[in-house]
Amino acid sequence: MASTACFVIVSKNDIPIYEAEVGTAPRKEEVAYQHQFILHAALDIVQDLAWTTSAMFLKSVDRFNDLVVSVYVTAGHTRLMLLHDSRNEDGIKSFFQEVHELYIKTLLNPLYLPGSRITSSHFDTKVRALARKYL
Amino acid sequence: MDPIRTYLGRLLLEEITPVVMVITTPLVEVACQKNGFSFVDMLLPFSLFPRIDVPVRTASDQPYRLQMFKLRLFYSSNIRKQNYEAAEEHLKRVVYDLNEKNPPDLLSEPPQLETALTKSESDLCPAWIKTFNKELIRTVSFSEHETFDHPVACILVASSKDEEPINKFMDLFNMDQTPPLLNEGAMDPKMLKHYVLLHDNQDSSTENAASIFAEMKNTFGQYDCKMLSINSLREGDENNNDVLWLPYRNYGILDHDKRCLLNTDDLNQIREFMQDLATNHIIPYMEQKIRVLNQQVSVTRKGFRNQIKNLWWRKGKDDVPEASDGPMYTYSSIESQIRILGDYAFMLRDYELALSNYRLLSTDYKLDKAWKRYAGVQEMSALSYFMLDQSRKEAEYCMENAFATYLKVGSSAQRNATRCGLWWAEMLKARGQYRDASSVYTRISNEEPTLHAAIMLEQASCCYLLSRPPMLRKYGFHLILAGNRYYMSDQKQHAIRAYRNALFVYRDNSWSYINDHVHFNIGRWYGSLGALDVAIKHVLEILACSHQSQPTQNLFLNEFFHFVQSAGKRFDVHKLRLPAINMSSFKVIHEDHRTYASAADFDVRESAWRDLEEEMIPTAAAMRTNWLDSQLESSLKKYDYCVCVAGEAVKVEVELKNPLQIPIPISEISLMCDLSDDDASTLDNGAPSFSANQNTGHMESSVYRLMDGDDSLFNLSKHDLVLGGGETKRVKLKVTPKVEGILKIVGVRWTLSDSVVGYRYFEIDTSKKKKAKKGVRNSSGKNLILRVMKGIPKLEGRIDGLPAKAFMGDLRLLSLKLKNTSESAVKNIKMKINHPRCLIPGNSGDDLSFPQCLAKNNVHEEERCTLTDNKDTFKSCLFSFAEGNAVQGEEMFSWPIWFHCGTPGKVSLLISIYYEMENSYGGMTYRTLRMHHILEVLPSLDVSFVISPCPSKLKEYLVRMDVVNRALSECFLLHQLSCVGGNWAISTLPSCNNISSVQTVLAGQALSCFFKIQDLNGVTKEGECTRHGSDVLIATEGSLNSLLDISKSPLIDFHYQERHHQGKLSEGSQSLLDFVLLSNAVGSNFESEAGSDHQLLSHHACHCSVVGKSSISWLMGGPHTVHHDFSNSFCEVDLHIDLLNCSPNQVNVQVSTFDYTPDTTQNPSSDSNSVPDLSTKQTGWSDISLENDTRVMSTPKKVQKYHKPTSESAPPFIWSGSCGMQLSLEPACTARVSLKVCVFAPGTYNLSNYELLWKEEAAGLSVSGTGRGHPFYLTVLDGPHREVTPV
Repeated sequence: MASTACFVIVSKNDIPIYEAEVGTAPRKEEVAYQHQFILHAALDIVQDLAWTTSAMFLKSVDRFNDLVVSVYVTAGHTRLMLLHDSRNEDGIKSFFQEVHELYIKTLLNPLYLPGSRITSSHFDTKVRALARKYL
Repeated sequence: MDPIRTYLGRLLLEEITPVVMVITTPLVEVACQKNGFSFVDMLLPFSLFPRIDVPVRTASDQPYRLQMFKLRLFYSSNIRKQNYEAAEEHLKRVVYDLNEKNPPDLLSEPPQLETALTKSESDLCPAWIKTFNKELIRTVSFSEHETFDHPVACILVASSKDEEPINKFMDLFNMDQTPPLLNEGAMDPKMLKHYVLLHDNQDSSTENAASIFAEMKNTFGQYDCKMLSINSLREGDENNNDVLWLPYRNYGILDHDKRCLLNTDDLNQIREFMQDLATNHIIPYMEQKIRVLNQQVSVTRKGFRNQIKNLWWRKGKDDVPEASDGPMYTYSSIESQIRILGDYAFMLRDYELALSNYRLLSTDYKLDKAWKRYAGVQEMSALSYFMLDQSRKEAEYCMENAFATYLKVGSSAQRNATRCGLWWAEMLKARGQYRDASSVYTRISNEEPTLHAAIMLEQASCCYLLSRPPMLRKYGFHLILAGNRYYMSDQKQHAIRAYRNALFVYRDNSWSYINDHVHFNIGRWYGSLGALDVAIKHVLEILACSHQSQPTQNLFLNEFFHFVQSAGKRFDVHKLRLPAINMSSFKVIHEDHRTYASAADFDVRESAWRDLEEEMIPTAAAMRTNWLDSQLESSLKKYDYCVCVAGEAVKVEVELKNPLQIPIPISEISLMCDLSDDDASTLDNGAPSFSANQNTGHMESSVYRLMDGDDSLFNLSKHDLVLGGGETKRVKLKVTPKVEGILKIVGVRWTLSDSVVGYRYFEIDTSKKKKAKKGVRNSSGKNLILRVMKGIPKLEGRIDGLPAKAFMGDLRLLSLKLKNTSESAVKNIKMKINHPRCLIPGNSGDDLSFPQCLAKNNVHEEERCTLTDNKDTFKSCLFSFAEGNAVQGEEMFSWPIWFHCGTPGKVSLLISIYYEMENSYGGMTYRTLRMHHILEVLPSLDVSFVISPCPSKLKEYLVRMDVVNRALSECFLLHQLSCVGGNWAISTLPSCNNISSVQTVLAGQALSCFFKIQDLNGVTKEGECTRHGSDVLIATEGSLNSLLDISKSPLIDFHYQERHHQGKLSEGSQSLLDFVLLSNAVGSNFESEAGSDHQLLSHHACHCSVVGKSSISWLMGGPHTVHHDFSNSFCEVDLHIDLLNCSPNQVNVQVSTFDYTPDTTQNPSSDSNSVPDLSTKQTGWSDISLENDTRVMSTPKKVQKYHKPTSESAPPFIWSGSCGMQLSLEPACTARVSLKVCVFAPGTYNLSNYELLWKEEAAGLSVSGTGRGHPFYLTVLDGPHREVTPV
């Protein structure tokens, strides 16, 4: 069954710095903006929820029809957001943790300006590999 | 908070009120229609009693007062359930009507964040949405499972004109126009009846009516009858009409076309009638009914026994098949009675009684599985909880339960669910739980058709904005969802309104797809509504959508052009994003006193030019006095602008990038400029006022002026190009000012696809400006404001024939062409070249037929240049053209230039030409023309020479020339080898005269040739050297058979340069002589421009020294064969040693002979010392393989020399005469030392047992050396004495 999964990293200024459609469903033009809308709207919920817990993984915070938004907030308030329709919380958690590690590695790059778009193709391949592994 | 004061409270007070059924005769309606409304409409304004103040008692006799009361009047024909389609149609019409009454304001600015946050709820949600909500709730009126819509009373109306009005009253109620629910038994037919006689005062007098009314009273009883007389307005008294009709107007039921015939008395009569109906009839009736029912319920249902009974009885009904609505209950069933009790109590605001009954009922319905009724009861109990302001949790639970149950029932109760949801949401809103309310709205929207869903979503979005803290993103998202649904239900205006309201959430948003979606849709909808300006504005936002796929990009672009075309007027778009302009690539090229031959020359660092021109141009101080003395002095001091010259183009380079994957045609790219007077005041505020323009919505007129340019002041160049998908192109734009003044380069403009004009200002950061003052020339903002000087002469120059690629050693004649474009003359032209090794200006009188001009001319004996080091003449390399060489206006001037490349690699040639104006022109007295060329020099022939002393002659040397062709595919024809200077003669070796076999060097080939050179310095006997000359012709065939004279101008000049250059490299080594090898390039792959036969290459090898040369060379001389008669005495032979000082210093030499054989073991060690010494001396050679060759060759020779053993234990000869001589030798001097040897027996002897010791005084250091004797074999034969024959 084709699953939808849209992964976005949002900087603390609410700007998406990395976007990837990691689902198996064929990518369609018309859903691209819908996913962005849902994820963008979910930021409102994350904003409230992030301060109520000390955990980084906020589980699923928002839903739209059958699409669920799971969020992981890093210490720097960068948000890793996944829009998905599957119910695999453990997998999502592991996915987030590993991507977090990758993200930190990106941050360590002295040429990377925090808050700017992540354009590294290496990062992209790794994230996609992780998505295949866990989601 | 008082629930009554909330919106929901008021809504409930208005909507859940007793229903009065109205039945009229047709004549009644006719009378009413004279005013333009029906009977019900006539009563409507008076059915609401804001302050009725009626005392009521609860069932338990608690007195309280009703303050506000309302009756709902319906014709009996309307008391029926609407079917779904009709309701849908009705609601749609409601939306359309409301839309037409107050159309949304779409052309004003969309709301901003700040304003949106300060808005109250009523501002956020348009008022018509509330009306729509009411209408939506009303569509589910008169259902069978709720009783608050069941009529409490019935008004029967007959006209006084009716025939037999009494009978009419009887008929009215019995006719089959009674509601179906009544007939089905769901409603109680026993209701309060009220009889009204309507009298139209226009038709007849009141007497007839009064008699009928009396009859009515007799028939139906005194209290239940009323008479209303209407239309009593007479002609002429219309004075206070407006005030009179105010109640009707508020309800919106007045038709303006009709004349209103009611007067004040009529209205008062109606008001009194309604008041009486409510106070004296309906409320007491309901109160009474509550008492009766409460009594009944208490008896049957209250108490422990009844409960058990009820439970048992209901259990027994389990086997009843489950109908969708549960079992049918008639009005007389106990459940219906309880429901009526509850509803009546609710309507009379006895909420506690209502609640207790609803709770009682809900368990019953639940047990009966009558889900719809159960949900209805739950809904009402939730509302009761709300009105009591008790137990919020309970209220919410009931609501949720009701909502879920309605949904569970299915489509028949779906609208009920909506109503329930609306109430629920209102309830939550009343309590400030906006976020929950919005989620309820969202849930409703899922159940409703698109239009309703849109309205619900819009309300949800409002709730998100009202929640604290406001959830802006949710607000935006739901507005977008709403807008989308509005669009689907063909409500474009509302769709636009929704999207526009959401705009501020997504402003400056980097969520690219969101941005595109919002702007594209708004643009498209505006476009379809005809508001093309706004449409274009929005579509412009998304033109540069590089992240979208190609079809989408196409779609956006086509839509945009479609709008622009249908708008049909010129659009000037500031910061049009197609194409993107890379401002960092932005560069201004202007020429002041520095002019450039081509734009690329501008890229060379200014400091490089400055270094080059240092000696040529007047010093800075002098320059300042020159042009600050002129009239510009003051302003130039003040405004340190760059300078350009009128009539000369200022170039601006800009990089354009197409972010799309589709090609876009761009035309008429040009600069926007402004040329103003010299006036200081405009200068002062020129730039700031302009930047202010940019910020605060530029003035249209100024933009047009800037865009169109002013032909009288300056010319603009225009470019057209097509940018392919993702392509980046550099455009060079020009502006040519025509008059003096201040030229401001303001921006760039272009036309996209012949329809849209885009423009962009060059923005100057103030911070950047500061930096620019420190002397950064390019990309500084200051460059955009230029002072235009009066036109002055300008030279344009180019070098003809300068190749981009050349082989090393290439020798060419180029010509420098200078053209004076102006009318007046320039003078005092000077030139400086940074690589004098590569370019040497020739003489104007030079024979330009190259290379024939180089041919050796025997007739014309030139004075030979001496090889004195005149490097200094070339060090400065400042070349002044002849003094009288003024270039007149419009004149072409050409000068030969010799070109030669010495080393392979990239050569950057900077040529600067200085010239002065003939007449002094305002600002400048001189200008420079800068030319920059980069050429690549390819390796060609690698030539090296090894000179070794000739073993037999002191002043002759053997020369081995190693030539390696390093070119990739090129063949070279060796032409001539010359040694520079007149003191040397070079000739081929006699044995290998046939050297023509090696004249062609193929690519990659290495070859060696041998020559002999002879030092002519000390040769006295001319006759010995029969054929001497400094040149050897190697080539025997080819076009150029004659020898070339290397002492002629370009060759010797280049040779000096090479010599100077190579001398630096091989410092310290002893130089003997220089060689010049001339060759021709032949071959297929050479560039076509150089494909001629005259491709001449010259290779210069300077400072060649003799290999392995010690400072002293010597040669032993004497007879080799001696006949001697040993019978007489021993033989005495005269020998001599010729010594030559090869070092530049004076040398003291000692020759010592010894008769014993020296220890041989010592020799190799000294030998091994000399070998590395030899190789280190060869550092001048660039090629290692060659060096290896020389070592391999030289080593065996040495070994042979030193390892020759002298086997004799005791020599049969002894040296006679002095055995140690000392003498001093001046540099390059020869001396002869005489020796004698005595031989005692015939035989052949090796006379090598002598040694030379020398000491050299060089610059305070004394260097000493020793040399073993060379083998010299002397054969002494026993025989008669003869003449000694020397060899």
